Amino acid sequence: MKTLVLGIGNPILGDDGIGVRVAEALTHRIDDGDIKVRTANTDGLGLLELILGYDRLILVDALMSESVEVGKVYRLKLEAIEPSAPSVSLTHHVNLATAVELGRKLFLEEMPKEIVIFAVGVKEISQITEEMTAEVGSAVPEVCELILKEVATFT
Amino acid sequence: MSKITIEPITRIEGHGKVTIQLDDRGNPETARLHVTQVRGFEKFCEGRLFWEMPVITPRICGICPVSHHLASAKAGDMILGVKLTPTAEMLRRLIHLAQYVQSHALHFFYLASPDLLFGMEADPARRNIIGLIAEMPELAKRGVKLRAFGQKIIEALGDKRVHPNAAIPGGMNKALEVAKRDEILREIDDIVADAQFAVNLIKNYCAEHSGEAQKFANFDTSYLGLVDGQGNVEYYDGKLRLKDSKGFLLEDVDPQNYLNLIEEKVEDWSYLKFPYYKKFGYPQGAYRVGPLARLNVADGMSTELANKEFAAFKKLSRSGIVTGSLYYHYARMIEMLNAAEGIRELVQNEQILGKDIWVNSKEIRGEGIGVIEAPRGVLIHHYWVDQSGKMLKANLIVATGHNNWAMNRAIFDVAKEYIKDGKVSEGILNRVEVAIRCYDPCLSCSTHALGQMPLEIIVYNADGGVHQVLRS
Repeated sequence: MKTLVLGIGNPILGDDGIGVRVAEALTHRIDDGDIKVRTANTDGLGLLELILGYDRLILVDALMSESVEVGKVYRLKLEAIEPSAPSVSLTHHVNLATAVELGRKLFLEEMPKEIVIFAVGVKEISQITEEMTAEVGSAVPEVCELILKEVATFT
Repeated sequence: MSKITIEPITRIEGHGKVTIQLDDRGNPETARLHVTQVRGFEKFCEGRLFWEMPVITPRICGICPVSHHLASAKAGDMILGVKLTPTAEMLRRLIHLAQYVQSHALHFFYLASPDLLFGMEADPARRNIIGLIAEMPELAKRGVKLRAFGQKIIEALGDKRVHPNAAIPGGMNKALEVAKRDEILREIDDIVADAQFAVNLIKNYCAEHSGEAQKFANFDTSYLGLVDGQGNVEYYDGKLRLKDSKGFLLEDVDPQNYLNLIEEKVEDWSYLKFPYYKKFGYPQGAYRVGPLARLNVADGMSTELANKEFAAFKKLSRSGIVTGSLYYHYARMIEMLNAAEGIRELVQNEQILGKDIWVNSKEIRGEGIGVIEAPRGVLIHHYWVDQSGKMLKANLIVATGHNNWAMNRAIFDVAKEYIKDGKVSEGILNRVEVAIRCYDPCLSCSTHALGQMPLEIIVYNADGGVHQVLRS
């Protein structure tokens, strides 16, 4: 199964970089031609281009909402981020759910059939810094293990 | 006297607003696009090494970073006094043309086509890329594919999709892998076909709406653009050619002499300067750049299909000079076809896989000038360095700047049409937005990523009080 592990975020906005940090940490731990690990800092439609052609997408991002616990790892299904639910911190207008919906309309065959999201609760992503907070940064190993387990169950 | 202000009310990353000044009879006297954002890039560059410029300057823009990247590297080549190897130049052209495909596709399909296909009066909730996907999925699909294709090439050469790291003074830092070249080869025929489809779409639109296209924001200026040795539209190198509004050749010079041609006027209400042709003075010397200007100054295009389209485009006017702002869209799609065909020629040539991609030099000359055609128009990077290669000064003239006067003029034309004797007609918001969008300014990219440009019109009374507020 062709799998894409995609870490999303902007590493100069502190905790927003969690997805990128996880992807960087995983790059050397996954050695499988069918699994690609990459990072992205883009909006929903830009994201669409990246995920075409994969059977499965594992996405890592920061999750900011009043109801999240900072540093806690959430495993979400795409359905969980319909408009009313806390939205994944994608930049620009189109959120992930909308991008996937549009993608399925345009490129049904090329869209990943399965999408899993690992989201880490964050409180604040407006400070310009390359350092993550200790609470969020310490989630990196945990997310990595979860993703390694996730890919192992399917391949 | 009344003053009308059109201000983007959300997402003002581009920081622009429009004001329209009425005369005593309530008719527009001036229209101004205020660019109040100052980036200060020229200052950031001072004291850094010129080697770093190709990675610093692309941060000026998230849509056409490759142009800054390459203009910077070209200025660096000149400082080193080197000539590129053939493979290095081919790779630079490849990444540049890839950017044309992605940038032009993004602009046309994501931003401009909803205005054209749904009509300028259509509800903004529908008049955007989401609406396009819902109602014209086959068309939207081609847009997404074209953009993705360009982005993929940029990534193959520059590691990153947005701010690539590929060109360095003296050449390129990475050769093209065979597998990646093969992937481009596999897709390129479809991409050329998609680009041809886009040309036909806008060509038909312009034919069906020729009244509107002829009338809308149509005015005279001079035109500036690069041409190759045969007078073809050129994007990466070549001579700087300037033609007047009737097609008379004013200049055809080495771009290094740009300072003899261009001067910049500063207006106190905008941070964006107004370049003009020195000999004509300001504002008579105002000229336009970008797709329309490139086609206006050139004699042809280097590839077969695009050259045919170029010839058809030239027939729009007797002088071969096309002046209506809406024709920017048409010219832009012909260029996208030209770029797609150019990519095909490059990747079909085995030399592109060469490993000889960098020339070093111990020499450091005090000055370097890199001139390139960004998708939006002529881009100039001019650096002065000391003996250690440290930047003493930088002069950057960006495409949106060259078109500054023209954008103001286009807004003024719309205002005259829609404001008469103090009465502001409905539709002015959309039309101002469409007028600005023809020029595809960086400003528009940052203020309305998905084709929505929230505007507010405030009509002021003579005494300065608010008379009327209009919002999109």
